[in-house]
Amino acid sequence: MTQITAEPQTSGHASGHGHADDHHSGEHAKYPFLAHHFETPAQQFDSAKLGMWLFLATEVLFFGALFVAYAVLRSRFPEVFSYASHYLDTVMGGVNTCVLIVSSLTMALAVYFAQRGKKFALVLCLWLTMGGAVGFLVIKYFEYTHKIHENLVWGPSFYVPPHSPEGEVEASVLAKAPAPAVNPVPAPTDPSATGLVSLAARPPADASAIKPAQSGPKGLGVWSAPTAAAAAAMEPQDPIPAEAPSDHLADPELPPNTHLFFAIYYAMTGLHGIHVVVGMIVIGMLIFRATRGDFGPNYYTPVDLVGLYWHIVDLVWIFLFPLFYLIH
Amino acid sequence: MSTVTAPRPHVVDHVDVPDNYLTHSRGFLSWILTLDHKRIGVMYMGAVLASFFVGGVFALLLRTELLTPGRTIVSADTYNQFFTLHGAIMVFLVIIPSIPAALGNFVLPIMLGAKDVAFPRLNLFSFWLWLAGAGFTLYSLAAGGFDTGWTFYTPYSTTTTTGGVIPVLTGVFILGFSSIFTGLNFIVTVHKLRPPGMTWFRMPLFLWALYSTAIIQVLATPVLAITLCLLIVERLLNIGIFNPSMGGDPVLYQHFFWFYSHPAVYIMIVPAMGIISELIAVHAHRTIFGYRFIAFSSIAIAMFSFIVWGHHMFTSGQSGLMNTIFSLISFSVAIPSAVKTFNWTMTLYKGTISLTAPMMYALAFLFLFTIGGLTGIHLATLNTDVHLHDTYFVVAHFHYVMMGSALIAMIGGLHHWWPKMTGKMYDEKLAIAGCIIIFVGFNLTFFTQFMLGSQGMPRRYYDYQPEFQIYHVISTIGSYVMGIGFLTTAVCFVQSLRSGAPAPANPWGGRSLEWQCASPPPHDNFKNTPRVGNPYDFSMLQWNPTTKGYDVDPVREAAAFAVEARNEQARGHA
Amino acid sequence: MLSIASILIAQAAAPTATPADFWLPSGASNHVAGVDTMFHWINYICYFFFVLVVGMMVVFIWKYRAKQGERIRLDGMTHHKGLELSWTIIPLLISIAIFFFGFRGFVDLTTPPKNSFDVNVTAFKWGWTFKYPNGAQSDNLVVPAGRPVRLVMRSNDVLHSCFIPAFRVKRDLVPGRFSTLWFQSDVPTGLDEAKGYHLFCTEYCGTGHSNMNRKVLVLEQPEFDGWLTKQAAWLDEIPDEELYFKAGPKLYARCQQCHSLDGTAGLGPSWKGIWERVSNPSGGVAFADGKSYSDLIGPGKEYATPEDYIRDSIYNPGKHLIAPYGNVMPTFKGQLNDRGVEAVIGMMKHLDEFDAKGAWTKSVPVATK
Repeated sequence: MTQITAEPQTSGHASGHGHADDHHSGEHAKYPFLAHHFETPAQQFDSAKLGMWLFLATEVLFFGALFVAYAVLRSRFPEVFSYASHYLDTVMGGVNTCVLIVSSLTMALAVYFAQRGKKFALVLCLWLTMGGAVGFLVIKYFEYTHKIHENLVWGPSFYVPPHSPEGEVEASVLAKAPAPAVNPVPAPTDPSATGLVSLAARPPADASAIKPAQSGPKGLGVWSAPTAAAAAAMEPQDPIPAEAPSDHLADPELPPNTHLFFAIYYAMTGLHGIHVVVGMIVIGMLIFRATRGDFGPNYYTPVDLVGLYWHIVDLVWIFLFPLFYLIH
Repeated sequence: MSTVTAPRPHVVDHVDVPDNYLTHSRGFLSWILTLDHKRIGVMYMGAVLASFFVGGVFALLLRTELLTPGRTIVSADTYNQFFTLHGAIMVFLVIIPSIPAALGNFVLPIMLGAKDVAFPRLNLFSFWLWLAGAGFTLYSLAAGGFDTGWTFYTPYSTTTTTGGVIPVLTGVFILGFSSIFTGLNFIVTVHKLRPPGMTWFRMPLFLWALYSTAIIQVLATPVLAITLCLLIVERLLNIGIFNPSMGGDPVLYQHFFWFYSHPAVYIMIVPAMGIISELIAVHAHRTIFGYRFIAFSSIAIAMFSFIVWGHHMFTSGQSGLMNTIFSLISFSVAIPSAVKTFNWTMTLYKGTISLTAPMMYALAFLFLFTIGGLTGIHLATLNTDVHLHDTYFVVAHFHYVMMGSALIAMIGGLHHWWPKMTGKMYDEKLAIAGCIIIFVGFNLTFFTQFMLGSQGMPRRYYDYQPEFQIYHVISTIGSYVMGIGFLTTAVCFVQSLRSGAPAPANPWGGRSLEWQCASPPPHDNFKNTPRVGNPYDFSMLQWNPTTKGYDVDPVREAAAFAVEARNEQARGHA
Repeated sequence: MLSIASILIAQAAAPTATPADFWLPSGASNHVAGVDTMFHWINYICYFFFVLVVGMMVVFIWKYRAKQGERIRLDGMTHHKGLELSWTIIPLLISIAIFFFGFRGFVDLTTPPKNSFDVNVTAFKWGWTFKYPNGAQSDNLVVPAGRPVRLVMRSNDVLHSCFIPAFRVKRDLVPGRFSTLWFQSDVPTGLDEAKGYHLFCTEYCGTGHSNMNRKVLVLEQPEFDGWLTKQAAWLDEIPDEELYFKAGPKLYARCQQCHSLDGTAGLGPSWKGIWERVSNPSGGVAFADGKSYSDLIGPGKEYATPEDYIRDSIYNPGKHLIAPYGNVMPTFKGQLNDRGVEAVIGMMKHLDEFDAKGAWTKSVPVATK
């Protein structure tokens, strides 16, 4: 029902949410968390949930664009993907998957306990979720550092021989090198396209010169003497190495444009990792509020919303894992 | 909850309005930290208009350069920066936020009957993001500017040495999130904060338009964000995804870019169409013709907009099959817009048309949008597009729809809601003069560009063949005339702020809810919860010569509500 | 009688380019009829709908205009099924028809006949090179009349786009791939550049984007064959002692965008005094990496002779950058053969015989031939 009121709106309220509003004094006094522009807590909760789902939709499209990039690259260079995925440690990836799934479980439990007002269980579950996130990032840290050490990275640095001191100098030089500006693409019919002097300056063959994975780029033979580890890695005769050679550049099976695999790998897992970090920050804030006793059966919206976010982060990983680690 | 049990006062005594959102609190902090959607809308409006001025200056500079072939006032590199900056500022800082964030923020909650948007703090955060994006853009100017064109096509954008590329890409990335959060806010507000009685089909068409726009904002903009990230990473780290010598594909960038940027143009035009529906209905004092179609067509355009991006790429090398599909679907997108135009024209039939400034802008829109939309046909048709792509024909087409339609509608909307926002009236004659000067200048500037393009002049050209000069001279003169028109309008508004007559609650005779609160509205929008009726039923309005506004005749209003209640009962919604 | 005769005579005459009209330029290829017809038909439909909408708008404004505060009419209709259906369906049908004809025209535009004459096109910042099957190269696009010509195009650096308005053709040049367009022109222009058709770059590519214009010249088949043979061997035909002044200016046309002859700094160093600098190399620092000419040029050095250095800086321009210029010069490997380089070097050696625009200022000695 409406009430006709002639009371002027004085500047007693800050430019924000008022508390006891004349129109709905009952509801707003009863629920201190109820914002002034909502009529009931249910309306506020529904709105927050819808807002969160919309935000998740934007996240799906955000990652979706990268999935499309993955699909385009993979359809153009299938041999690159099947080859390079062997450089990824399936065990570590698998452990990470389990860690995230378990943390999703603990997050869901946190929501469950928040709804029931069980503060201790709620805080415990939040800490466990946080622990899962930390564990995920730690494993990721080891994965990344190992790869970076082996120069299994994006761009021109991929072609810098790992472990060699010149390699490091060249890597730093390359890092500063300007992007290939007006250097012409070698003509696709030009047979000397792959006969180049130094590997570090070798641009990978351009897209129109697609070579089958078995034969490998010709330029490898003229490259400077491989390290002992690389020489050992050249021993196995199988076309696809059972274990990735420690020096990828010495592998005659290395398909051209393999750096693109690592580019998309770091882009997607890196973006996912950033989302995990953000998730950790938000869960940390939840822990603070939960310990303070803010949540109960009447009000658990933030826990619910963060739960939704965390599930999406988990879901994205569940797609990333097989697409990178489990392909042949 | 909203049944009126007692008659309520209809004449709002505007002279003694004790408090409104402008006077509710004072000081810079009370504005920059406000959670009031009306203040946020006003701040957006000021920011957008300031950016429009900057983008407009770049436009006048580049048009001046084009007066003669060869160098007129600046070098080729500077000219390239001018057109890039003009485009980037106008698209990302002005047109995309203008109607949703500036007008929409102010009008949507009041028109809906709500007290605020669903997430006021997110709304304020969106505005801060806009400021941050504008800041990065300004910084990019200091860092050396950028000359890539607003479309940032690779490989030029990944290899050009101007230093402002990464800052502006960061700025646009941030602006994208400003847009996403505004859209998210609007969708939730329309879904959840409608008062009882405000059913979907009682919503004014401006709300349908804002809702459809919000869907596009939420779904399309994240793809732009990733595209810009990929560009930044390509420049910084040389990953090679767009570099052919590293296995990448420059055309892949174009697909990513246009996947957002085509829906983006519908973010620009759909809310403009919503405004036109309001302007024509209210100022012709006539119910809108074909309400349901217009409402549904807004949603249809929003959905179709996602599947036509390839029509920007007919000559890029994408396959013939793709070209065919995109061309066909592009035609189908044109149909809802065409039907809306017919509906608006029919709304004028048997109306009681007041030739006020907002109505003049609406008429200008009809003229200019018809031209802009029709010339889209030349570009959607595959073989004519081969001749016209990347020529001035395209430049003319998109200025007719982006500026001649979307911007004109925004300014018309600003005139329409100005009394509500500021509580002041403006000088009608000066406003109409401004409209006419802008209209004449606009056609001079851009109609000649259709001919320039079809005669074969490419776009983004610093130097040109002498036979094109006459067109350029006319176009430049037109741009100066337009500049005078905008100045006139600015003077009109400034004059209104300083000495305009106080505005009644309902100067134009609208029936949507914003006209039922005072001008300017109080902090909480409504003193009394408004009664929701048909927003296009003007039968109960009565002109009041003293207040120079419209009042509601209680007898006719009660009759209209009774009829509606009977209809609802008959439909089973009681 | 006379008029009928003149019409008959006109019809029997050689094909001519279509005249330019208000909208479209003169057209001279087989695609013009289809594209222009489509364009004009779309225009007619646009005129119709424009007049309809704006006309109705004006009529209604006039008829139903009212002063503020006048009594509001209430007899306007809210909808009309028949009207709404017809103005949805009719535009839909028109759109489908337009799409169909446009599609058909597009298939014609993009399907070159099997017996096309291929010309290789290379675009770079900021110019074009046209290469022919017999090895000839040209700065302008010279094509035979009366047979289909297919352009096989590639870009050396960034996106470009080949646009010939008179032929109604356009196609983007994407680095890393080939793209094609085709046309057939039946209207010969001769070798006079003033009569040729414009060829523009129409995808923004930087500073020189609007200065990449070339001409398309159409020659009758026998004349074309003669030109082709001469063009392939033009450098070889010129006697050695005349090479630098006959070939130099023509080749310099491609260099002058970045290299001036009178000392003005451009995108690249001026050629003024270049021969003195390289033939008497000094120890002063000249290069971005701190080296001097004398570090590089001389017996036992990287370049034994100054000619070697000039040659390498044309083929590998990024190897040694002259300070303070950037790495923006494209390579001319594949575009300039040894004899062409010889001509350029010759011009550099005799730079005092050329004016600032590259024209040779002396005259050929009569006794030579």
